[in-house]
Amino acid sequence: MSDISRTFPSTYQDKGVINIGIGEYHAGDFPMTSIGLGSCIALILHDRSLHVGAVVHIMLPGSNGKTERPGKFADTAVPTLFDEMMALGSNKRSIVARIAGGASMFSQFKGNLDIGNRNIIATKEALELCHIRLEAEDVGGTVGRSIYYNPLDNGQIIIRKADGTCLEI
Amino acid sequence: MKITERELDALREMGNIGASHAATSLSQMLMSEVSMTVPEVEIVDISDLSSYFGTEIAALVVFEIQGEINPGGYVVLHVPRDSAIRMTNAMLGSEDMDREFNEMDRSALIEVGNIMVSQFLDATATLLGIVMLPSPPALEIDMSHAAFGSIVAQVAFDIDEIILFKTELTSEVHNVESTIILLPDSTTLSEILELLNKLMAGN
Repeated sequence: MSDISRTFPSTYQDKGVINIGIGEYHAGDFPMTSIGLGSCIALILHDRSLHVGAVVHIMLPGSNGKTERPGKFADTAVPTLFDEMMALGSNKRSIVARIAGGASMFSQFKGNLDIGNRNIIATKEALELCHIRLEAEDVGGTVGRSIYYNPLDNGQIIIRKADGTCLEI
Repeated sequence: MKITERELDALREMGNIGASHAATSLSQMLMSEVSMTVPEVEIVDISDLSSYFGTEIAALVVFEIQGEINPGGYVVLHVPRDSAIRMTNAMLGSEDMDREFNEMDRSALIEVGNIMVSQFLDATATLLGIVMLPSPPALEIDMSHAAFGSIVAQVAFDIDEIILFKTELTSEVHNVESTIILLPDSTTLSEILELLNKLMAGN
C-alpha cells in the first residue's frame, strides 16, 4: 500500500500530469489525473495495444439533448471519449474501460436524488450502448477519491481516497 | 453569464453585510475577535473548480436556501480540517489536535454552521426585502473538491459557470479560518440581481 501512495503524485502540476476538471476530457499517451471526485465519475478508456488512453470527468447522468459540454454528462461523455480513442487510431477491440467515483455525498438532503448512484448507472448503460467492456471499477461509497492514470502502465489506475487509503484497479 | 461590474459590486456589498453578521456570531461563539476579508465575487467555470478547491480535507456544512425562493441553491460554510479541529477544541475545551473527528465535533461544527449561516442569510434577505431560510444542515468531512463538486452538481445542469461568492472569516486567537460560499441556482441569482438593481435604482 505504501508503494502505491508513493506513485500517486502529490502535486500533479510539477510532473507534467494533466488534471481533468469537471466536464473536461483529454486523450493521449501522457499521464492524467482527476482530483476530488465526489458524486462525479472519472471514466478511463485504455487501448491495450497502442498504450494510449482518454479520461473524462462526468458530473451528471443525462444531457437531455444538450451538446455544448459533452464531457459533463454520462450519455454524451462515453461516445465522445470513444471517438477520441478512434481519432488516436485505436482499434475498437483493444479498448477497455475503468470507472471510479459516484460516491453518495450529502445524503441527508431529502429532496436530493442520489446523483452519485445515477451517474454510475448512466455511465454503465452508455458503455454498454457503445459495446465497451468495463474491466474494473471502484464506485459508490461515501468518500471522495482522486484518480491517476498513466497510459504506459498497462491501463491500471491508482485511486487515493479521502480517508487516506490507496488502491489500484 | 452576463454580469456587469456594477452588479458584481452590489453582490460584493450584499456579501459584506451577510458576512459581517456571521462574523459577529462566530466571534461570540469563540469569545474572540474575528476579522473578515472583503468579499470576493468570482465567476468560475465548473472545469476550473479544482483551482479553488483541491484534495485537502475540509468540513463543509451545507444548507439549502428555502423561503420565498425555494429551492434556491446552497450556502456552504467551508472550514479546513485543522481549523475545524481548533474551532471545536475552542468550543469543547480540548487541546488535542492530533485526533479524528468525533460525534461531539460533528455536532459542534453543525451548530457553528447553523448559527453563522442563519445570520448570513437573514442579513442578506433583510437587505433584499425577501425571506430566505436555511434548511436543516448537512455535514461532510471530505476532500474539498469532492464535497463541493457534489453540491455544484445540484445546481449546474443548465449552467457551466457558477458565481462563487466567498468571504473569509479568521479568528487569530484560535487560528481558525473559514469561508462562507453562496451558491445560488440560476433562477435565484437572477432574482437576487433584479432585487439589487431595484435597490441601486432607489439610491
